[in-house]
Parts: sequence; structure tokens; C-alpha cells
Amino acid sequence: MKSKKSPFRKKIQNLSKIKVVHLRKKDLKILIIEDEEGLCESIEEYFTGDGNICETASNYRDAMAKISLYRYDCILLDITLPGGNGIDILKIIKENNYPDCVLIISAKNSLDDKLQGLNLGADDYLVKPFHLSELKARVSAIIRRKTFSGSNLLLFNEITIDLLAKEVRVDNVPIKLTRKEYSLMLYFIANKGKVVSKNAIAEHLWGDGIDMANNFDFIYSHIKNIRRKLMEAGCNDYIKAAYGMGYKFTE
Amino acid sequence: MKLSARYNRVNLVTTVIVMLVTSIIYYQAIRLVLTRQKDKDLKVEEEEVFSYVDTNRKLPQAFESNDQQITFTEARPGSVKREFIDTLYYKKFDEDDIAKKRPGQPKGEYESGRGLISFTTVGNKYYKILIIESKVETEDLIRIIFTITIGVILLLLLVLLVTNKLILGRLWQPFYTIMKELRLFNIADTKEIRKIDTAIDEFNELNNAVVAMTGKAKQDYKNLKTFTENASHELLTPIAVINSKLDSLIQTENFSERQSKLLNDLYGAVSRLSRLNQSLLLLVKLENGLLKDREQINLQALVEDSIVQFDEIFQDKALRILYTLDSKEIYANQNLIEILLNNLISNAVRHNKKGGEIIIDLTKKSLIIKNTGDHLPLTDKIFARFHKSSGSEGSGLGLTISRQICENYNLSLSYQFNTDYHVFIVDFA
Repeated sequence: MKSKKSPFRKKIQNLSKIKVVHLRKKDLKILIIEDEEGLCESIEEYFTGDGNICETASNYRDAMAKISLYRYDCILLDITLPGGNGIDILKIIKENNYPDCVLIISAKNSLDDKLQGLNLGADDYLVKPFHLSELKARVSAIIRRKTFSGSNLLLFNEITIDLLAKEVRVDNVPIKLTRKEYSLMLYFIANKGKVVSKNAIAEHLWGDGIDMANNFDFIYSHIKNIRRKLMEAGCNDYIKAAYGMGYKFTE
Repeated sequence: MKLSARYNRVNLVTTVIVMLVTSIIYYQAIRLVLTRQKDKDLKVEEEEVFSYVDTNRKLPQAFESNDQQITFTEARPGSVKREFIDTLYYKKFDEDDIAKKRPGQPKGEYESGRGLISFTTVGNKYYKILIIESKVETEDLIRIIFTITIGVILLLLLVLLVTNKLILGRLWQPFYTIMKELRLFNIADTKEIRKIDTAIDEFNELNNAVVAMTGKAKQDYKNLKTFTENASHELLTPIAVINSKLDSLIQTENFSERQSKLLNDLYGAVSRLSRLNQSLLLLVKLENGLLKDREQINLQALVEDSIVQFDEIFQDKALRILYTLDSKEIYANQNLIEILLNNLISNAVRHNKKGGEIIIDLTKKSLIIKNTGDHLPLTDKIFARFHKSSGSEGSGLGLTISRQICENYNLSLSYQFNTDYHVFIVDFA
């Protein structure tokens, strides 16, 4: 099978590769393979827009059909699917050397599945339930890693983030952020234009192992610090509080 | 007590009792037969005396040989009753023997004898006849028979013991093989119990039962595992949908203060629900020993990381944190140890008072986490599932999980109340 690739398929592959380069700046093409309609819809809604394109597949057959025809920047892959297993889809992607990033989203929080998925070449593994903002941040990180091309800089207006040095600059002036503040900054940029809930921020920064109920005062102090540091460096105030539920990073 | 020991004991006791009873009966029977024999001899002797008296009209000479004495004494007519008696026989030593002995030694000795008292009249005189025969040979005979019997008993016992030990040991071998297999049996393993080869029906039956039982246990366990996985999938998916719908909902701007309060409460409840579900799944996995992968872990670094992670939370409650950490490595699953540390520190924070104190001590021997809080000691119930202090926001599974993690690695987790400090100790010994 591998050696007998049709010229047409090859052409498409080459085309999509070129497209990826073109899309890298902003637009992403994402395939959501998820049988739970409600979840699939939410993810699609959250990712669509801002130039991103989403496609969905709700069963094994549809997913295989799409994967054999088109290339995506990122595939969000559920393990348990009607008609087949997501792991098999992953195997086929890897056997054919498709360049698509794969992020497994699974309700099976079993280490075996996780290790198997990652060993087979999945880029990341996220356990249900998750926050959409967390998913977006993970996808952004994967794509950043995959399309890494020498300069590992993330640009947003006057803000430059050097991902290797883990350094944030405003108009080329470095500002000092703590580890958590830096992580929060990346999280916001990955979710720019979206309201990110305090729960999502807390889980991102502290993991779900630390169960501190509904006290989010310490998130507030982190946000306050980031804003102060950015604004002192002459940056616009991009972080807005959103109805006491969360924050929004927006132009 | 071992079955063979028990069996041997019963066997020995009954054998000894039976043998003793038999030998007593044996002894008595031989004695009876031999005494009768003696009595017959005595009667013959008596007959001889009578016939002598009849023919010679006088008493025979008082006769004495090596093992027979006959004495005649005059007695009042009619005073003697004819009877057999057990008596003593005075045996004189041989002249040669006496000469060898030192002077003053007795010239003879008494041995047991059998006597016959009879009477006769010679002319008008009434005589009592006493015939005594030495029983020493009879007794010797009895003694020899008895000794042989005892010897046979002892020999028999010895043979019994040895054969029991050898044969029983070999006979029970299949049983021990089955036991070994059972001890090594792990329900989570794929390894089946081996079918053993034995000619003994009972062991075959036992083996079959064991094979069937473990097979069924494995099947049940597999079903349970599948059920747990399915349940998790079924439960987590709706939670994931609620979560994602909430995330989508807050993107639709313009909320009143009341609406955002409601949304916040929903978020809180959903995250609690999802944590609870995850805790339950973790607990099931722990109890089934499913998390087996291990690695070398630098506990000191891990505790330090946890303390850093909790930094804001300590500050938020104005808690003072004091710690001394020795270097300590353990061999365990990193994820689980992180969960353990997070649970214990979370607890120390959650049940603390504002401006309180947390003390963490890591030594080679133990990890101790102390915190201020309520002034009353807690009971051991805190380790039970869903035990919660009133007003606690936790799932009620944290300490259960912590203890289970410790048990997984043969560590012990205990609680003490020590002068206003609640102390949790993870003992590495």
C-alpha cells in the first residue's frame, strides 16, 4: 500500500504541505473526530473563526474517509468511536507518514492508553472532561512545535514571546515573569478573543491534582501582576475581566 | 499444626494405647498359661508324695532340688486347706558361688515361686505338705516375651513415623504445588493456574476446582475492569459535554451579575463532579493494583515542587510553611506519589486556620506533615471513604486514596494529634 501511492494522492499531499506553510501564520485546518455530538459541536464552535477551519467526523468510517483524502494541521482524536478504535486511526496516520498532528482526547484515563497513544506517535493526550481553552492551548503548542522553523518567536502586536528562552518582550524590552505568569501568558495568547474561565486557568496552572475548591483569589493576583508588568513596559492592556467569571485576552 | 503432624500424633497415640492394651492382655494370658503349667507340675509332685505315702506308710524325705522344695510339718488335723499360693522361694547359691563371694554375704536369695499347700495323714499323724517351685524361669520367659513385644512396638512406631514422613510428604506434594500456584496467583495477571498431574482423585478434584475458580475470578475481574472503564467513559462524556457547553456559553457576551454568579456556581459544581469521578476511578484502579509501573523518584525534589505549587494557596490563607527536607529516594509511580503529596498538603491547607502553620519534615525514615487547625483530635474514620468534616469542600476520598497509595508501596500512613498539631506520617520503614 505504502509504495503504491497514486500520483494524485502525492499531489494532494504536496499541495497540503504547501498549504500548511501558508496556513502557519494564522489559519488552521482541524479535524475533530468525536462521536459525542454535543462535545463535537462545542469544540467546532470554539475553534472555528479567526480564519480556522474545522471539519468533523463522528464515526470510524467517516474519519478514515477524511483522513485518506485530506491533510489537516491537527486531528483531535477520540479513542472510543462507533465502528472502530481511534488508536487504529492513529496507526494508519503514522503508517502512511501523514504529517498531521494528532491530539488524543479520551475519557479513558488509563495510563496504558496514554502510553500507547504517545508511543504510536500522538503529539499529546488530553483526558475528558477538559476545558475548551485548555484544548486550544494544547493544539497551539503542538502546532508551534511542529512548524518550528528556526525562529521560535510568537508575535502579538508589540509583544514578542521567545518560546525557547521562555522570555516575554514588549517592544523589545524584556519583562520578568514568573513561571506561572509566563505559562498564563501563553495560555491567554492561545485563547485570544475568548473568555477563559477561572476554573480553566486554575486547572491549567495547578493541575487538577490540587483541589482548592472555588477560591480563585490567587488567580486574581497573578493576573494583576501580569497586567502591571506589561503596562509598566508600555504595553496595551489586553487582559479584560469578564463578568467575574474569567478573563479575556483581546485587542 | 500440620495435617501430617496431627495425623501422626493421633496415629501414634492410638497405636501406643492399642499396643499397650494388647501387651497387657498378652502378658496376663501367658502368665495364666504358665501358672497353670506350674500348678500341674505341683499336682504331679503332690501325687508322687501321696503315692509314696500310700506304698511306704511314711513320709518321703524332705526333698530339695534346684527349683523345688517340699516340706512337711505336723499340724492339727483338719486345719489345712488345700490351695495354690504365690509365695517366695528361697534359693541357695551354689557352694562354688558362695566361696567366691565375700564372707557375710547371704547364702541364698528369695525369688518368686508358686506353692501348693496340701495335707496327708501318715498313721495317725496329720501333716501339712508345702511344695514350692521357683517361678524364676517362667518369669524370665514372660520378661523375654514382654521385652520382645515392647521392642516390636517401638520398631513399629519408628517405621510408622518414618514411612508417614516419607510417604505423606510425597503424597501431599500435589497439594503443596497447588498451594504455591495459588499464592502466586494474581488476578490481574494473564498467567493461568497450571493443571497438575496426579493420580490422587482428591487432589485432581481440588486442582480442577482451583482452576475453575481462578478462571471465573479472572473473568469476573475482567468484566469489572471493562465495566469500570465503560462507566468512566459513560460518565465522563456527559461531564465533558457540560464543561464544554459552559465554556461555549461564556463566550456569548453580556451577562448580568446574577447570571455570572450562577455560571460560576455551575463551573464549581462540574469541576467537583469531575474530580469526584476521577478520584473514584483512581481508587478502583489502586484497589485492583492496576497501577504497577514504578521508577526511582527523588522525593525531596517532588516535595519541593509541591510546596512551590501551593505557594499562592499558602499565601492566600496566610499560612506559615516550615520545612526541612533530607534527600530521600523511593521506588514508586511518580503520578501516584504526586497525588499523595498533593492530597496531604491540600488537607493541611483546607483544615487549617487563617494565619496557621504547616510543618513538613522529610527524613530517611518518614515524611511528616503537621498542620494547625481544630483543637480537637480526629478519629481514624478520616481514612474511610466519603468521610468529611462539616463544611469541607473536598471529595471525601483524598485520605482514602492516600492510604491506598501508601499500601500499594508497603508504606504506612497514620494520623496523630500532637499538642495542637494534626500530624500525618508516611512511614518508609
